[in-house]
Amino acid sequence: MNILSFEFLVFIMAVLIVYYVLPLKLRWLALLAGSAVFVSMSGWAGAAHMTVIALCAWLGGLALSALKQREKQLRKGGDEGSGERASACVTRQKLLLAFVLIIDIGAMVFIKYEPAVAAWMNGLTKGKQMIPVWELAVPLGLSYFTFQSAGWLIDIYRGKAQAQRNPLKAWLFVGYFPQLAQGPISTWKELGEQLLTGHRLEPVQFVSGFQLMLWGYFKKMVIADRLAPTTAALLGETGSMPGWMVLGGVVLYMLRLYADFSGGMDVARGISRMLGIELPENFRRPFFSKSVAEYWRRWHITLGAWFRSYLMYPLTTSHAGIALGRRASKVFGKKTGRVIPTALATLLIFVLIGMWHSANWNALVYGAYFGLVMAASILLQPLWKKMNSAFHLQGEKAGVKAFCMARTWVLVLAAQFFAFTSSPRQGLSLLKQSFVNWDFSHFAEQMTAIMSVREWVIAGIAMAVLLLTDILCERGIDLCGRLAKAHIWVRWPVLLLLLMAILIFGMYGVGYDSTAFMYTQF
Amino acid sequence: MEEKTESRRRVLVFFWLRLAGFAVIAALMLSYATYVLTPKSDFGICSMINMYRQPEDSVDVLAVGTSLTYAGINTNVLWSEFGIASYNLCSAEQPFWVSYYTIKEVLKTQHPRVILLDAKPSIYERDYTKRGRTILSTYGIRGLENRMGAIMACVEKDAAMGYILGLPEVHSNYERVKLNDFVFPPDNGGRGVDWKGYIEMDEIEHHQRPSLVLNSVRRNMNDREEEYARKIFEMCRDEEIELMLIGIPNPDYAVDHMYYNALWSIADEYGIGGINYNTLDERFGLRFSSDFADWQHLNVKGSMTFSRKLGEDLKERYDLPDRRGDAAYVSYENCAKDWYDKYPDFKSSGMKGM
Repeated sequence: MNILSFEFLVFIMAVLIVYYVLPLKLRWLALLAGSAVFVSMSGWAGAAHMTVIALCAWLGGLALSALKQREKQLRKGGDEGSGERASACVTRQKLLLAFVLIIDIGAMVFIKYEPAVAAWMNGLTKGKQMIPVWELAVPLGLSYFTFQSAGWLIDIYRGKAQAQRNPLKAWLFVGYFPQLAQGPISTWKELGEQLLTGHRLEPVQFVSGFQLMLWGYFKKMVIADRLAPTTAALLGETGSMPGWMVLGGVVLYMLRLYADFSGGMDVARGISRMLGIELPENFRRPFFSKSVAEYWRRWHITLGAWFRSYLMYPLTTSHAGIALGRRASKVFGKKTGRVIPTALATLLIFVLIGMWHSANWNALVYGAYFGLVMAASILLQPLWKKMNSAFHLQGEKAGVKAFCMARTWVLVLAAQFFAFTSSPRQGLSLLKQSFVNWDFSHFAEQMTAIMSVREWVIAGIAMAVLLLTDILCERGIDLCGRLAKAHIWVRWPVLLLLLMAILIFGMYGVGYDSTAFMYTQF
Repeated sequence: MEEKTESRRRVLVFFWLRLAGFAVIAALMLSYATYVLTPKSDFGICSMINMYRQPEDSVDVLAVGTSLTYAGINTNVLWSEFGIASYNLCSAEQPFWVSYYTIKEVLKTQHPRVILLDAKPSIYERDYTKRGRTILSTYGIRGLENRMGAIMACVEKDAAMGYILGLPEVHSNYERVKLNDFVFPPDNGGRGVDWKGYIEMDEIEHHQRPSLVLNSVRRNMNDREEEYARKIFEMCRDEEIELMLIGIPNPDYAVDHMYYNALWSIADEYGIGGINYNTLDERFGLRFSSDFADWQHLNVKGSMTFSRKLGEDLKERYDLPDRRGDAAYVSYENCAKDWYDKYPDFKSSGMKGM
């Protein structure tokens, strides 16, 4: 079911009505039914896959819980040999967790990467098909529900979350529909209890959710989808294009990606909020970041948090990680040696994040680039500190902030050249092209050939509105909350204006093939 | 505790009332936006909206059909020369399914004595209507049931929702909106409320009378066109309205002949007749060299010549009252006056510019 379709709006209304009509204790059933409908309408194969993952999480969670309980009892008991048995219990927990994670993540890796890997290996053998290419349909939100269920299992193992006795409740946590399309990836602590506890209708919260949903649609339909054909045109045939156009195309691509992804997130969070459920934030105005590290703490927050929590910390705090740190300290000195495991783990994680985007060389370069930038920033931190102090780049001065933001923009922008191109070589050549032929003599013709003046004006106004709201939010003003509590003479005109803007200037309907969210097929 | 419950109940009641209020205002605004963004073409949209502005039960002859009808039947001639109160409710390439729902909608406020049904759609082979035509043919219909019926008949099921909601199909027209698109009702291309649906075509294109072999061979109509033609026949029979099939002269007729034969033979089953002006022995003064605007449509002079003949036939076949001088029909007088003022040269069937 397309989130941009009329059917989806009818579906949401039906879920809302059923949810608030049911008694508090049974309200989770409305979410379950809604999720079941949503998942099954997105394809039976995907629904089956997700159900298997949920079953794994449910059974694995129960088994882990039982083992944990047993381990506790053994440790409490203090009998002879109970210590050994407790250790065996821990080993079994580890094995069980590894087994379930291999099924969970293995299935995802197989579906996402098998075709690309097989094609690549077959290519090495000069066309002989050594490995069959399995073009399996990617279930909706594959990596989101896989990561979420894997995270839940790890949390159960760590004793930070509970297993669920009811398989339907476990299924609901894994397949909660608003976040299926493109996340966010929630932990049990953030979402589990919220889903299962019935929520009373709170008018202010409901209105705030509705606002957020509208705002998400505005970002997606008015900005992102308007820029979609423009960026495609700008970055498609770049042969004789002047450098400023190539660079402009990449900037627009980045803005489009932000509007698309964060818009989808606002829709998901808005719907949830209308149901009384608060999903974690996934974007916090990333373009105001003053460093690449901060950028990744503001962009796709829950993915970064997942990798940090379930991969980076275990890696850096593992025996191997600590041992590496010790050895490195001996070779490079204490200061540098201590951060080497962190730098290497960061590099690895960003390579994986890159590969998560797509199974191709560009994704690898994209991830490795950010990984190297981040690793360098960790390793060279003392040097940066000295340089910042030498160039007076410390403190909260506006000029310093602007400089740091611009620097982050440049570093992030460079990575985008590899985000949409078909090969690293093409990405590099486009990057090179953006520096040459800055000829503005045909500016007007070139711009209007891509999009009419009126469309540019609409896109410009919409982006200005987005920028303004982001600036206000960045200054700590809770626009959504304020508007939800505002008098109807203020709130209604704003909402009506937003609604009209979406329905008139949004890109949808006949003659326009509504594009899916860019991060849906991950 | 009770007080708390009472206060929450009040909050919720207010909330639902406000939500309903917001939904109503949003719906009104969206429906107005749909109107503004819908192209205000004379035919289809304007002629339908204008129909609602006609006094109740004031149309004696209703003509439905394609562009051949709105350009061919000159309502001003029928009025000024025969006193016939007629109205053209047509749209470009109007299929029988649109005609059917259009007639159904009109019958809510009018009870015409005669309905003229253009035979041209019998030649259409499409199962569905083109997008633009669907908008122009259906967006003027106010009655929800008939509007939805017409839309569902025009487009495939999957695409219907966008048309039923309206805005999704026209929202991207904002680039073309002009100031008078905001005015409701539309000004019918400057013709005003008295306009009766005739759309003049000024051009002259030289043609030859088609050489016809007048056989009775039939070529099957498209199944859906036939289905709706039958529905129209049955509806008129049930409503006790005289239905007359009408073949409007056009230079391209040779292609249509066998389809028209099929339509006539179906009409026969219902005891319905008509006149195919393409096959009349009598030439009634129509000149193919000067009376057509293009390869299908009569121009102003042609429409006058044809409408005179049509008026005579209508008078001869049906008991149609002469409404001239009746105060209730003053809008017809105004419409004819305005039109003849605009085209003074045509008062004596002369040709403008010749």
